Order: sequence, then structure tokens, then C-alpha cells
Amino acid sequence: MEHKQISTRRRSLMLGAAASGVAALTQPLSVLAQGADEIVIGGSIPMTGVFAFAGVGINDGIQDYVKIINDAGGIKGRKVKYVPEDTAYKVDVSVAAFKKITSQNKVNVYYGDSTGFAKTINPELERNGNILMAGASFASELNDPKKYPHQFLVGPDYTEMFGILLKHIAKEKPGAKVAFVYSDSEFGRDPIEKSEAAAKQLGLSVAIKIMTAAGSVDVSGEVIKLRRAKPDYTIFHGYILAPIPEFITQGKQQGMTTKWMGTFWTMDSSTVMKMGPDGDGFMGVMPYRYYYDTEPAPMLEKIRAMRPEYQSTAYTQGMLAAMLFLESVKRCLDAGKPLTGDAMKAALNSIKDYDTGGLIGVPISIPGNSIPVGRVYQADMKAQKMVAVSDWIKL
Amino acid sequence: MRIGTLKESYVADAALFDSRTQHVWLAIGAAALCLFPFLANDYWLYLACLVAINVASSAGLNILTGYTGLVSLGQAAFMGLGAYTVAILQLRWGTPLALNLLAAGVVAMLGGIVVGVPSLRVKGLYLAIVTIAATFIAHFLFANFDFTGGTTGLSMRPARVFGTDLDTSFRLYWLIVPVTVLMLFGAANLFRTRIGRAFIAIRDRDISAEVLGIALLRYKLLSFGLSSFYAGVAGGLFAYFFRVITPESFPLSMSIFFLAAIIVGGMGSTLGSILGAAFMTMVPELLKLIFDLLPGGADLTVFLAPVRLVIFGLLIIVFLVFEPLGLAEMWRRTRRFFHLWPFRN
Repeated sequence: MEHKQISTRRRSLMLGAAASGVAALTQPLSVLAQGADEIVIGGSIPMTGVFAFAGVGINDGIQDYVKIINDAGGIKGRKVKYVPEDTAYKVDVSVAAFKKITSQNKVNVYYGDSTGFAKTINPELERNGNILMAGASFASELNDPKKYPHQFLVGPDYTEMFGILLKHIAKEKPGAKVAFVYSDSEFGRDPIEKSEAAAKQLGLSVAIKIMTAAGSVDVSGEVIKLRRAKPDYTIFHGYILAPIPEFITQGKQQGMTTKWMGTFWTMDSSTVMKMGPDGDGFMGVMPYRYYYDTEPAPMLEKIRAMRPEYQSTAYTQGMLAAMLFLESVKRCLDAGKPLTGDAMKAALNSIKDYDTGGLIGVPISIPGNSIPVGRVYQADMKAQKMVAVSDWIKL
Repeated sequence: MRIGTLKESYVADAALFDSRTQHVWLAIGAAALCLFPFLANDYWLYLACLVAINVASSAGLNILTGYTGLVSLGQAAFMGLGAYTVAILQLRWGTPLALNLLAAGVVAMLGGIVVGVPSLRVKGLYLAIVTIAATFIAHFLFANFDFTGGTTGLSMRPARVFGTDLDTSFRLYWLIVPVTVLMLFGAANLFRTRIGRAFIAIRDRDISAEVLGIALLRYKLLSFGLSSFYAGVAGGLFAYFFRVITPESFPLSMSIFFLAAIIVGGMGSTLGSILGAAFMTMVPELLKLIFDLLPGGADLTVFLAPVRLVIFGLLIIVFLVFEPLGLAEMWRRTRRFFHLWPFRN
């Protein structure tokens, strides 16, 4: 009797699974309805996984900008449709999302979630010829219009971020000693070699380079090495948060007076505030204005009206990506050109002194694959805010 | 209705496919595989290729873990060895595809044999830790040498066969799926041979196997070698499929994925390798498709993304609680049901 019950349950389970499978298999075979004149933004967005902290913000940013444009009547009367898929920050899942979205929609522009995806999908973009892509990656390798003709970065690449920081350092303390602390990953190693040369050109010396495992916990040995090198500035790269707080806390305990700095993915306000009191004075490069900046910025005001709670810099990145995508599309349509990858990229490159509504504090131009501009901000732990300590620096 | 099979010789008893029904289903399966690329869109072709690559690697791991009883968490490292071998051979010497894939298998096999050496002294979790070391060593090798492209990795040209670039999922399907099918037949046949039976004997009780005259070290290393060969060829296919490989393409989580695939599919079963790899690759995608049917657009995507992962995890737990022998056993049970239907007792 007992045996019979289990068998029935097993059968039900199998039938249920089979029914679900059949339902799922039949669905994508149907051609989804799409208005012939719709502009489609596809997105491989990491809403789960290690990059989810940024992915959700990116998704909101793109979605909000699409809403703003559609509420204003679309682009030359054409509505914009946003089709995201979660990728969990895995390249194979991200490529599957790309294939799925492009199979079911005539995608014009696409947001990708990682350097790995950007590199993997590049041949497909070239073959397709009708998609312009940007994404969450700021890899220096992607800042090459010849190798990646249909892609761009929504800000400076990692080497340019270092360049902005080094320029600021050279101005603040000429001849300063700098340390680079970076993760043992493609992300971490990206700007190091070129930035060492850039530092020398600016009259700075690189006192030490320290590579650690990404997210490592015990860094006491590295802190001792760093203390011995006595750098005036220490730039972290290739981490989100850990082990930066550990470095700062131990460094301060050992009497280090170096100024601690970070790059974009560390620099969101909520991330820096997690460093606690020791993070006070933590500096870094940020290509965008923070949600709470008080300087005049109509787009930030719009965002604050739509979303009263703090929005991360990943949100701004997503929104700016959508803004530049749709500006390229608009310029193509205005010129009567077809929405091909080449035409949209040429339209993007025609952007000169473009006002982002204050998302970036100065008018921008995109002559190549990046927007080489940023500003140095510093953490004020009492106010729980990031405060600008430099003008906008263009490379 | 089929109620049994009569076997009159040892050869018939050891046959891979022992009935007309199986031959018919095999022909139907082959026809379906041939027709699939002409019916499916790019997305499904992509998934089919990905499943095939994962099946090939899972089949290799099943030889080692399922049939020989040696736990390994190094499958991703061996796939990496294969992938880098293919990429380096193609980029440096422009050698042909078949040679590259074979070399990928051989290089990974050599790596596997080296990693397998401690298997005579350690078993179970201890061996798992030894094989984890392979992942870290492989990552170091991939990330720190110029010829592997360092952390940036290597970007490849498409595979070229008879003057045709295999640059679409449709074209790659005709490379990946036949190679995987060949490898599956190889794995299935292996266990009809003396070597395969020695593996099973080692799994069931290694001391008894030794008493029976099976040279443990030789067969354990052979099992590691064969398993890694499969991983290497799968890695080579992976390289041709994605055309970009970096040290981060082969993380430890990938090895765990394959181990999970053979546990879910069924250890010690070639069918288990197929079902497990397909389950682990496809179910998250199928869940996405089911969730896509719900209205709500991008807002709902954010909410449902983590829910989907939870459901995927629960599905694995439920399957294993109700069927610890894996999906292959469920399939066997289903077959048995239809063999006896309507006279089930």
C-alpha cells in the first residue's frame, strides 16, 4: 500500500515536470508580438549572482529611461521596448539570454553584463550587424573601436579611471608615491601595466604593486608590505568591497597616512558607507553624479521625483546606457539612416558636447568607445555621503 | 506489448542494444537530432550545443565517479586544459580541427593521470580535495603565462571544416552533437569491455578487485585518464563554441555543476550523464520560459529571478528525495511501467 502511494507521487511528479517542459517548449516557438516600428533594447542583466547588487539598479535605470521616453511619445513616434533576462553573471547564461531575446525580437541595442560576455558575443554582433551594444564592463580591452566596432563603454575604461585618479594626485601632490592594490583577476589586472607608465609620465612613482585574491580576508602580510612602501596614495582596483576595509583598518592601526582610493564598482555610496568609520576620507573616481548631489541636474531631479529613495550609481550607469543608446537611434532616424550597427555607432561617435541632464557634470563627447571623464569624490562618514573633491577631469 | 527479451548467447547478452524496439527508438532519436537544427531557432540551437558539451563532460566524469567510484572536483580544470590546447594550436600553428580536438583530449588525459596518482592512497572526500587542487593549479597556469594570454585569455577564429567557418550555432551543431554522440557510444561500450568491468569492480570494492587481479593503480589512472580525455574534448568543443576562453571560464563551480549533473542524472549510467547534464542546463532556462508566460515585464523579471533559482534548487532536492538513483532510474521505471502495462502488478 505504502509502495503504491510513493509510485503515484512519483508519477505525478514526472507528469508535472513533463507538462511544464511541454508548456515551456511550445512557448518560444510562437513569434512574440512586436510592433513593426518598435525600438527594442535587449538586456543580459545580472539580477542574481555575485553582481546582482548592481544588476537590479542597472535594470531599474534602463527601465525608467525607457518609461521617460515612451511617456514623451517615443522616438520620432516609435515606442521603445525593453526586454531583459537574468543572467546570474554567467557568460553561457548571458549568451543564451542574447540568443533568446534576439530570436524573439528585432533587437536594435543591447546591454551586456560582463567583459566575458562582451568578448564572447562580439563575433555574433559583427555577424548580425544590426545591434549596438554597451554594458557593465569598463575593460580597457573593449576600448578599441577596430576590434569592437559595435560596442562602447558607458564611462571611462579602467585605465582611464586610473588616469583620472593619477591626474588628480599629480595636481594635489606632485611627485607623490602611489601604490596599486589589485585582485588576481582579469578585472583587477586590467589597468595596472599601462597605469604604471602613466604614473611615471605624470612624475609620480609607483612604490609597490600588490596583487591579492579577489575578496580575500586575511591581508595582514600585504598590509605590512604596503606600510613599508609608505605610499602617499593607495589605489584599489578589481574589488567591490573586500578586502578594502581590512586594508584600511589594519593600515590605520599601523599608523599609515596614505590616502585610500577606489574605482567605479567600489565607489557606490552604499558600498563605501559599509566601510564604517575607518572608511572616512576614502576617495575614488566616479564618472557620474551621485543621486543626492545638489548641483543643478534636471535628470537627477526627474529620478528623485520617480524614486524618492537612494538610487545606486549602477542605476545611473543603466540609465545613461539607455540614454546613449536611444540618442544614437534618434540621430540615425533623424538622418534617415537604417538602424544598423555601423550607423548607430557612427551616430554615437557624432555625439559632441552632449548634455546628459546632469548625470555626468560636464557635456560629453564620444569619439571612440569610451567617455573618458570622471571626478574624484571622497567619503564623508558623518554626513553618510560622497563629496566631490575635484572638478570633472577629462583625459 | 513487450514482456521480456530472450537472449541465447553471451554476445546477445552483452549487446549494447538488445531489442528491435531499442533499434527503432535509436533510429527515431538519430532522425530527431538530424531534424532538430532545421526546426529550431538560434536560441534552441545554442542550448542544444551547450547541453551536448555538458553531456560530453558529464559522461567523462561519470566514468570516473559513477563507474569507478573516484570522486573528482577537477573536471572544469581538465576542460580548461582541453580548451586552451585547442586555442593555442589553432592560433599558433593553425592545425586542423580534428587534430586539435584529439590533442585537447590527450593533454587533458595526461593532466588527469597526474592528478589521479594520489587516488591509490586517498578516497572519497580526501580525493575530492586533491582534485580541487587541480582547479587552482590550472587557473594559475592559465592566468600567468603569455602563451595562454594571461588573464585576458585567448580569442579564437571560428573552426573551419572543408572551407566553411563554423561560426553559427547551426553549423557548430553538426560538429558538437556528432562528437558528443560518438563519445557517448564510446562510454557505453567501455562497460562491455574488460576495462569497464574492472572499473565497476573497483567501485564496488577495491580490495576485492585487487584480490581478483585488477591492478588498482593502473585502472584508477586509466579511469582518470579517460575521464579527463572526455573533459578535454568537451573543453575543445567549448573553445570552438564560445571562441573566447579566459582563466575564469573554468571555475570550481563548473566542476560542482558536473558532479551535480551526474548525481541528479544517475551515477554509473550513460543515460544518467545525458539526463543530468540536460536537466542542469535546461531547467533554469525552461523555468525562465514558464515565468515569461506571466504578465509583468521587466518589473517581474527582477522579482522572479531569485525565485527561479530557489525553484531550481528545490527541484533538485525533490528529485533526489523521491529518486536518489537519479533521473536515469526514473526513466527505467517509466520504461518498466510501459513494458508491463496494462498488466502491472
